Amino acid sequence: MSGTALLELEDVGISFGGLRAVDGLSFHVDEGQIVGLIGPNGAGKTTVFNMVTGVYRPTDGRIRFQGRDITGRSPHVVARQGVMRTFQTIRLFAGMSVLENVLAGQHLRTRQLWWQGLLATPGQRREEAELLARTHATLERLGLSDVAGEIATSLPYGVQRRVELARTLVADPSLLILDEPAAGLNDRESAALNDTIREIRDSGVTVLLVEHDMNVVMNVTDSIVVINFGRKIAEGTPSVIQNDPAVIEAYLGQDDDEDDEAAGGLEA
Amino acid sequence: MDVVLQQFINGVTVGGFYALIALGYTMVYGVLKLINFAHGDLSILAAFIGLTVLTSGIGGADAGALLVALAFVVAAALVGVAGFALELTAYRPLRKAHRLSAVVSALGASMLIENGIMLIWGPQVKVFPANLLPHISWSFGGASISFVQVLIIAGSLLLMAGLYFYVHHTRFGTAIRAAAIDQDAARLMGINVNRVIASVFVLGPALGAVGGLFIGLYYREAYFNMGWIYGLNAFIAAIIGGIGNIPGAMIGGLLLGLFNAFAAGYVSSSWQEAITFALLIAILLVRPTGILGERVADKI
Amino acid sequence: MAAGERRASLALARRAAGPVLWLAGLFVPVLLGGSWVSIMAIFAIYAVVALSQDIVLGRAGMYDMGHAVPFGVGAYVTAILNTTFHWPILATWPVAIVVAAVIGAALAAPIVKLRGDYLLVATIGFNIIFVLAMGNDVLGLTGGPDGIFGVGVPHVLGRALSSQGALFYLDWLVLALVLLMMRNLERSRVGRVFRYLKEDELAATTLGVDARYYKILAFAIGAGLAGAAGTLFAVQLASVSPGSFVFTESVTLFAIVLVGGQASIPGVLLGTALMFVVPQVFRGLAQYRYFVFGIAMVLVMVLRPQGIWPRGRGRP
Repeated sequence: MSGTALLELEDVGISFGGLRAVDGLSFHVDEGQIVGLIGPNGAGKTTVFNMVTGVYRPTDGRIRFQGRDITGRSPHVVARQGVMRTFQTIRLFAGMSVLENVLAGQHLRTRQLWWQGLLATPGQRREEAELLARTHATLERLGLSDVAGEIATSLPYGVQRRVELARTLVADPSLLILDEPAAGLNDRESAALNDTIREIRDSGVTVLLVEHDMNVVMNVTDSIVVINFGRKIAEGTPSVIQNDPAVIEAYLGQDDDEDDEAAGGLEA
Repeated sequence: MDVVLQQFINGVTVGGFYALIALGYTMVYGVLKLINFAHGDLSILAAFIGLTVLTSGIGGADAGALLVALAFVVAAALVGVAGFALELTAYRPLRKAHRLSAVVSALGASMLIENGIMLIWGPQVKVFPANLLPHISWSFGGASISFVQVLIIAGSLLLMAGLYFYVHHTRFGTAIRAAAIDQDAARLMGINVNRVIASVFVLGPALGAVGGLFIGLYYREAYFNMGWIYGLNAFIAAIIGGIGNIPGAMIGGLLLGLFNAFAAGYVSSSWQEAITFALLIAILLVRPTGILGERVADKI
Repeated sequence: MAAGERRASLALARRAAGPVLWLAGLFVPVLLGGSWVSIMAIFAIYAVVALSQDIVLGRAGMYDMGHAVPFGVGAYVTAILNTTFHWPILATWPVAIVVAAVIGAALAAPIVKLRGDYLLVATIGFNIIFVLAMGNDVLGLTGGPDGIFGVGVPHVLGRALSSQGALFYLDWLVLALVLLMMRNLERSRVGRVFRYLKEDELAATTLGVDARYYKILAFAIGAGLAGAAGTLFAVQLASVSPGSFVFTESVTLFAIVLVGGQASIPGVLLGTALMFVVPQVFRGLAQYRYFVFGIAMVLVMVLRPQGIWPRGRGRP
């Protein structure tokens, strides 16, 4: 199976002081898949993402991308391999327009050297024009052309999410990691998100996402990994997961008022 | 003459006033996470205020110990008030603003106070009168310790002990510690954080004031830009001990004083400065939290 | 005029203002003469240093309070090579720039990982050590507390630029070049990366930015430009001494950026003018200079924390 695996986690674990946040986690994402990582709050999902993208260094286990070991490498090195991510809290650059934010995603595709920038060499200016053109194309693709000049952080939440997404896509990643892309979106927006995600996959990008919104998870993923307390408790297709007793228990084991939502959500 | 013992005595003396000034830095940093660049200047202001009292002729020619005591009280009180005013005008309005704004404000305040001193007392070096304190000294073990040194060491230790007791064994002291750990939580617990901060800005400078007047009495001189060099040194002491950590400031002050005293014997004074700062940089790189400081959270 | 037209005219006026002011400056030796020429020359030199400080502090967001060091390095390199080794001034210039940049990078390398306040203190430490070293006549080259005298003037095409006016034009030209570079910086990847690092370093790294490399690069570029100004400074004063590069100078540069407006070219230039030109005008009140600065710094931060002339919004 690891032959076609784009991302592979093998026995990954991390401890924060005395707390074992993730333990013995193994799963893989194949090229062209859309994989969901779900679990109750505090299960360790964002921690897993932070380990994959190099923000945290795992204390145990190996993480491999395209067969190459990326365990503990810094974020910019992981990004260079072709892994892009969004953040749960949306981390757009304040004070910058939508255009400037999305342009930022092209950092790795830029060739110009610092002194070429300072001297504004012809080659550098040509590249600037190319970068701008590519950025506009991506904005167009995600329906953001109208707001290109607006300050990104002044826009509605749903639009900001799309901007963050555009910023990752313009980098032409092989693997896109989405941290709760549907958070704060209404049903209509979630459905649109599903289409967008599928479209992204169809354009050749593999997707790994964390989500609570079952409308998204159950409808868009090919495979789901469920974790609780930092450990994998189930793995399989959406329909398998929906009926997995361990998963149901993990979600029902939460506060009472979340039960109905969870149970109802699992069947979405 | 036992050089080592003598240097030790000198070192502990200097360490005493460095510790007192360092405490002011550390207390403010603990609560506000701000380096109060004006603190050194406030401490030195005390030396000038003290000098004015000591040369005022109050109490006549034989005023002696009472006059000295008065000088300390007046200096500490006025500098405490100045600290309070400083917080109110230059830092409180910037609580919600970016850190850098407070840094620049602090630097501006430092410049203001230092040059204010120059404008009031003049740019020349002021000499302290020779007969303020008895010229007694005691010899033992091949070294001698003078009256002023005893005064400084005893005074510093007393004040440090008093502060430690206050911070650890009184309600308000606990409030100070709570605010240093988590301002919002402290506020939620009903602690009047504004009052805590204001009192830290009275207490810290007041302690620094005693240290500053000690400096004046020890070296028998004061000049308007002493503030920044003594301030920086005291700040280094606070960092060595762990910024924000009160016992740390005391230990840091002591260590710095000892280091200065022992290095003076072997290295010229300007290279001494350089070594002190090189030491600072080394500590920042290797153990920025200092000897006793807690781990600073890395930003994620 | 319709609102749109008015906006467009204002934008045009804004863009033209800089070049117009610069061109106006060319007439200073002719129209004003006398001490104004050297005042404006000093202004141009310090403006370059302040702009270079802005690269590290205002644009890349790093608390550099030791920027007098590369300024001093450039000045001393030129002074030493010219007076001790008899190099022509223009030949010393690239060396001064490179040495300053290398030293800037070397000092930055170990400390860029430090948190804001600690980085600030480390740069202060470097500044103090530098001044002490220069004052101690290291290797018999740096001349002790009185520094080095007798720095020459540049020779261009066989002619010595020995008059105040000639030196002023050189400084004014360099200022123009640096302003152009700053503008280019804003329209290039390296300038953008500095902004990303300042706004959100973590997000920047996940986009592939090697934070450490770019932080050191910011210091290096800032240092190189400051070093270039250092050469001009040494020539202007015909001497160098440690006193010109003390910690208070770094504080002034730091304040210029914050008070003028971070990452704002007009702001930094205005700040430089206030800190260096205005005191020249009020020479009689010199003793009040720093006292007034102190008050001004506190007031500006409390009343207008974004600086007197903040960077225009949405400016790329």
